[in-house]
Amino acid sequence: MFSWWRSSGKRDKASEEQAPSFEVQLDRAKRGDKEALSALYYQFLSLVYGTIATRVPDRATAEDLTSEVFLLMIEGISQVHSTDEAGFGAWILRIARNIIAGYYRKRHTQPEVIPLETPHWEEEELGESQAIPASHPDYDPVRLTEGREQWREVKEAMSHLTEDQQQVILYRLICGYNVATVARMLGKNPNAIKALQFRALHSLERLLNAPTPVRQTPRAQVRRQEGGL
Amino acid sequence: MKPLSDQFDDELERRDANGWVGGKAYNLDPEVERLVTLARRLRTTPELQVDPIFAHRLEQQLHSRQAALQPVRQHATWRGWLLPGRQRVHPLLSTAVALGLILLLGVGVLAAAHGTENPNNPLYGIKVWEQGVQVSLAGSAPDQAELYLQFARDRLDALKELADDGHNEAYQKTLSDFDQQFTLASQQISSLPPGAERNQLTAELATLNTDAIHTLRGFLPHLGLSEQVVTTNELGHLGAAIPQITSVEVTLPTHPNGQATVTIHGSNLQSGAQLLVNGKLSIATGILKGGGLVFVVEKWTGNQHPHSIGIQNPDGTATQTTNVTVKTNSDDGDGNGNGNGNGNGNGNENGNQNGEGDGKGNGNKPILLRTRDKQK
Repeated sequence: MFSWWRSSGKRDKASEEQAPSFEVQLDRAKRGDKEALSALYYQFLSLVYGTIATRVPDRATAEDLTSEVFLLMIEGISQVHSTDEAGFGAWILRIARNIIAGYYRKRHTQPEVIPLETPHWEEEELGESQAIPASHPDYDPVRLTEGREQWREVKEAMSHLTEDQQQVILYRLICGYNVATVARMLGKNPNAIKALQFRALHSLERLLNAPTPVRQTPRAQVRRQEGGL
Repeated sequence: MKPLSDQFDDELERRDANGWVGGKAYNLDPEVERLVTLARRLRTTPELQVDPIFAHRLEQQLHSRQAALQPVRQHATWRGWLLPGRQRVHPLLSTAVALGLILLLGVGVLAAAHGTENPNNPLYGIKVWEQGVQVSLAGSAPDQAELYLQFARDRLDALKELADDGHNEAYQKTLSDFDQQFTLASQQISSLPPGAERNQLTAELATLNTDAIHTLRGFLPHLGLSEQVVTTNELGHLGAAIPQITSVEVTLPTHPNGQATVTIHGSNLQSGAQLLVNGKLSIATGILKGGGLVFVVEKWTGNQHPHSIGIQNPDGTATQTTNVTVKTNSDDGDGNGNGNGNGNGNGNENGNQNGEGDGKGNGNKPILLRTRDKQK
């Protein structure tokens, strides 16, 4: 069975040998073992957060939806039949996809609310940036805004890629799983994944370097993001 | 020289091993270098890094939630045993309690049925009925489609527990249920008007399709032959590449237990495939030759005409057909050995034809056993 750990490695080989098997860890988590639950949570956090963050407009929403996914994981964990990482990963990704779908469905049926005041999370960020000298590169408001704008462009460009290309970029390049793992996740052979990631990145580069970026109406953007789940 | 996609992947692996901050590999193609820079940008984008404060806060929240749920779960388990009354109660109250218990029992049966995944379990019928009620109570067509998708996913999960030699019947039944739910979801979605909701459900259906292909392919090595055949058919329904037989020609030996040749034409036939005769594996390995898969069977059982021929590819996909053309391997034309060929028992079943035919030089006349459009 493949490993859902990043190929960059959060744990070394020796610790991997000592660590309990996934099945044992999952069983402990089901019985309420705090340590096992934390290990499980951190094992899938990047994957869940990455999946959501590439599909929703901002960090605050991504964090909210990530919380919902893990709370549902806690509620449903005792009923999960899968005992391997792949099965469990597929289950948790399914929850994430349903949560994202619910989010867009709600957004579609409810009129968009435009706040009169700055959202609290922006205030927090502004507050932090004001508390720290503006010259600090990590907290420079201009850099933060630029970074957010660049990420928005990347997401918009990604929404023009095919579903396979989006998935390979997410799993391979953003979450950092190795080719063999991504191949198993997508049911393709490793060479196809290599070619797909190359083409995907090529297309992304082309879209990002387009002289006039493709601009869409917010509604069309929502539709594309929904379609890209 | 390696293709650029391989060079790019090698560089990603190198960066994953050595860290993304640091020098680049020498002699890197400029195009690959550009893409590596973009990959690095994606990998290190702050928007995708989980905020450690958020991660810690959520971890605490999860622990609190787990702690809150734990007693409820334990309580739910033991409450039933602790309920029997120790005091005399009013008859009206006892009737209400009895009704309550009946209701509880009914709900319990429904709950137990809900968790049943084996179609051989008597509660499975209740589960199917319960799901039918859920669909009929769903408020809108998109909700119904969502339910069908959910049921199809449940069946796919259930198959994981059944994909071994001990659950053949249950596996086939669940696979058939999966196919039914998937088809219903697909039909329901295609009947929706164009719009965001339909796009969303279409994307969910596509994801399920991909998951199902991946999962079913993984089962193949663990399944029995007949389950491999039905799984291959299902993979075909899902749009995966599967072997398909268009024609089969069996050249029977002129004498019992002689050498027979089976030539199969079709698509996605893999070299190294095993031959299936009448639904059973035969000791013969196929070789791709002249666009077809050729099997040489050293000892063909008597002069038996096969009623079905199939193949099992090395990847576990398997298919069969009853559309089989049978020829007799008799020499025609030059008269060498004709006597032997005709004299040896071929006449038992079709000796009249062969006996007359050989003399006129058309001993290879095909005998079409059965013709069906549909492969078995």
